[in-house]
Amino acid sequence: MKRYNRYPILALALAGLLMACHSSQEDKDGYKTKLSFGPGDETKIAEAFLTLKDSSSIYLKEGTYKFDNLSIAQVKHIRIEGAGPDKTVLDFSSQSQGGEGIRVTDVNGFSIHGMTLKDSKGDLIKINKSREVVITYLHAIWSVSDSTSGGYAIYPVMCKNVLIENCYAQGASDAGIYVGQTDSAIVRKCKAYKNVAGCEIENTSNAQVYDNDFYGNTAGFLIFDLPDLSQRGGHVKAYNNHFHDNNERNFAKAGSFGSTWGVGNAAPGSGVVILSASDIELYNNRIINNNSSAISVVSGFFIDSNAGAKMNDHYDPIPKNIRIHDNEMQVGDSFPPAVYEHHTGKILVGLEQQLNAQDPARKNARLPFITYDGITSNVLTKGNAANPDSICIRQQQPNLFVNVHALQMGTKEWRPDTDVTPFLCK
Amino acid sequence: MRKPCLLLLMFVSLLAWLNSCQQKPAGQGNTGFAFKEKLSDYGFFTGELKALVPRKGVVRYELSTPLFTDYAVKDRFVVLPEGKAAKYTTHGALDFPDSTFIIKNFAYTSPEHKKVMIETRLLFKDPAGKGWKVMNYLWNDQQTDAVKWILGKKIPITLLDDNGEKISTTYQMPNTNDCKRCHINNSVLTPIGPKARNLNFTLAGQASNQLQQWAAAGMLQGMPALKDVPQLPDWKDSTHYSVDQRARAYLDVNCAHCHTKGGDAFNTGLFLEYEQTGHDQLGIMKQPVSAGGGAGGLDYDVIPGDPVHSILVHRMNSTEPGTAMPELARTVIHKEGVALIRQWVAGMPRQ
Repeated sequence: MKRYNRYPILALALAGLLMACHSSQEDKDGYKTKLSFGPGDETKIAEAFLTLKDSSSIYLKEGTYKFDNLSIAQVKHIRIEGAGPDKTVLDFSSQSQGGEGIRVTDVNGFSIHGMTLKDSKGDLIKINKSREVVITYLHAIWSVSDSTSGGYAIYPVMCKNVLIENCYAQGASDAGIYVGQTDSAIVRKCKAYKNVAGCEIENTSNAQVYDNDFYGNTAGFLIFDLPDLSQRGGHVKAYNNHFHDNNERNFAKAGSFGSTWGVGNAAPGSGVVILSASDIELYNNRIINNNSSAISVVSGFFIDSNAGAKMNDHYDPIPKNIRIHDNEMQVGDSFPPAVYEHHTGKILVGLEQQLNAQDPARKNARLPFITYDGITSNVLTKGNAANPDSICIRQQQPNLFVNVHALQMGTKEWRPDTDVTPFLCK
Repeated sequence: MRKPCLLLLMFVSLLAWLNSCQQKPAGQGNTGFAFKEKLSDYGFFTGELKALVPRKGVVRYELSTPLFTDYAVKDRFVVLPEGKAAKYTTHGALDFPDSTFIIKNFAYTSPEHKKVMIETRLLFKDPAGKGWKVMNYLWNDQQTDAVKWILGKKIPITLLDDNGEKISTTYQMPNTNDCKRCHINNSVLTPIGPKARNLNFTLAGQASNQLQQWAAAGMLQGMPALKDVPQLPDWKDSTHYSVDQRARAYLDVNCAHCHTKGGDAFNTGLFLEYEQTGHDQLGIMKQPVSAGGGAGGLDYDVIPGDPVHSILVHRMNSTEPGTAMPELARTVIHKEGVALIRQWVAGMPRQ
């Protein structure tokens, strides 16, 4: 008799357990653990980041939060969510250690959206060695745009499958949105303003960049391959973007990468710069009022005579298979003032002067829209093909193109030429 | 009969449910081992805890070249499970058996020349997951025990450096993920210090080589003849080793856990392992990739003959976040380490 009495108790306990289990079961997005915090919970939040279990989401309510830094490592299926970029603000101005505000390492399935990150000492958010990364409605901002700002605002590196959408980056002393050494990335519907580079795709393969607005930076958009890295980039498409009014001074730390690689080389007034990268298609973009050069295509030899020694499976200094077509381009009446203080900027100014001195019929026209350094694989093969690296241009504008013949620069033989014929798409 | 059957059914379904509830994705925290709350709970030491007197089976060891952490005084111990031995490996840390503990205690020397305990870091090789796990313990103000502490902490201290000079700083106890950043290689958590080559020396005042002692005690299997065991130079020993050897040993221990393929700084292309021979990889006339302002306006990691303009020296000589290297666990400049690396760069023939 006594035994039977236990049945209801057991049933109740079972029901309770089942309910407990259900309450921690997956929500509609598939997260098993859902945590929610508000301003004042900073310590709890930092602790939650450190103890995250697989399949967790963290919601940060409206308000401003102050953090030294945050990190997530070695978990799966994580979402960090705010109430919106204007509402949830993470302020890292008190950072006293480490290279970034938020550091994500080795996470398979990471998404962050709906908040603003601001004023870290190093990068704002670095996502290292992760897969299935989704960054949406994230604003990453330094209040002051100068060399005291960190390098990258939004910084996935060595990742696989990255989506950056509806984000905004401001004030980076390197690139606002930077995707490095990554396979398969999409950057779309983003804005970048007052960075040295609005967006940079570096040693990254299979990237698509579209429907973005990069403006008011030193240079709007860079596609770079650098030597000595884990992988070669390439197969990048950029289309339907608006790259405009990128005419600001280059505030990468004074002299930073002055004579060599990197964003310090980007001349003020650059719309798009392609460096050493291959298999690139640039089309249907509006490239407006970048008042030095709308599009530049340069080889690694342009900035380092020793680039040939660095060639291997992961690096080729000569850009190849570059398709540029159907872009709308406009450029202002004169160079932006900042260009005269910049080392590669001065080369562009000199180039315009040389063209106009060579050919009075130009009537002191501006530098053509597309600047190609003309350093081709003929350098390596000792060949003399007119377009050995398959540069293909299909654009209708007058004053379209200049081949710098950069290897002759500084000699009496130097004659940059504006004949685009060898480079017209077949 | 009906009711006991029902009971059985309920019991079975309870089990089934419990089982289904436990089917979480594999990840941390799902294996059997859980770290204890207090350092004293493990019973590693006898007597007053802060004296760190090891009980039987807890073996103190030292490294020929250790990692610099704000002039911290470090005590290192390894605890192998009863009757088990580590296997010798030429590269990387020794292959320790499951259930091994590695204990590293951090303290500083106060201006009163007292040893003040700060934190104790544990590595445990969990038999359930066959992987290493990390945990930190923070010493209390009374210096009687240390408690589990995952958050990291900024601790203002005044310490005496190796020359007895006073330095005030805010010591940064790392959080759990900070620990992982240095210990992860190719997504696998691994010990850094106890490599054969860094254990291969004779401690002052001892009769025989540390590794030989381990082998003799049955703690180490498969060790070749001592002459065939690689040896990492003692970075301070200018009598037996060249500046190049000492500098490379220093960089190996202080930098190469991140600056190696698969390490946290893999993306930089700067690789500083002792075995590294590639000039570019060692930073010689190598341009940085993602240093940003951290490069201090300099162009090359290492310019032979020119330490003043070498980024490597610049970053070691800084405590600014975003510039300072290593990024973690260092808030003061290691004057002697910087001096050695300066000397190394200055001595390279100019190109």
